[in-house]
Amino acid sequence: MLYFRSEEHIDRWCSAWKMDRGAVLTLDQGWRLAAAWFTEDRRAPEWRRRTVDEVEQVFGELGLSSPFWSLR
Amino acid sequence: MNDDEVRGRIYDVTMRSGRPPLVAELGGPEVVESLQRLAAGRVIVMRDEIVMVAPFSAVVTPFLVESAGVSYFANCIWDALGIPAMLHRDAEIHTSCGDCGTAMNVRVENDAAHGDGLLHFAVPAREWWNDIVFT
Repeated sequence: MLYFRSEEHIDRWCSAWKMDRGAVLTLDQGWRLAAAWFTEDRRAPEWRRRTVDEVEQVFGELGLSSPFWSLR
Repeated sequence: MNDDEVRGRIYDVTMRSGRPPLVAELGGPEVVESLQRLAAGRVIVMRDEIVMVAPFSAVVTPFLVESAGVSYFANCIWDALGIPAMLHRDAEIHTSCGDCGTAMNVRVENDAAHGDGLLHFAVPAREWWNDIVFT
């Protein structure tokens, strides 16, 4: 996941790498996703990776519900 | 140490120092087996050493995060934002445009991120672990 100056720069990168355009998030959306994803204390013995259902719940609560974000 | 304790040690060292510990710093052969299981469980990424323990990178990347006098490298822009989220501290992210290389900064302060850029996720979520280093 990379950071870009603008939509135009994203399109140029996709063209250069011959890749379809993926998902674009504003910085605020990206921050809220990172805050939700990484807020748990991974030093804690009880920490576990999220299940597929739990991951999709995190994405869904942030409005990331398109097929791009599906894990199935 | 069991696997949970090894994971806890890895994160504790990384969060305090900015760098994941070397295998030799973690212990003997039983730790190597724990690291292999943690890698199989996608908690860490191993080569000969730990190279990724999300959101942290053991190697230099274009995502430098500075917080409370400690420097960290993140694996991507999502992880760069994840470091202050995990530390529960303000931070400055020094990165650059993925296209043109122009320097860009993001300031995370008081539970908000300030900057002018956009995040691009090139790989669909279900394919992230097909090649996690590229992702």
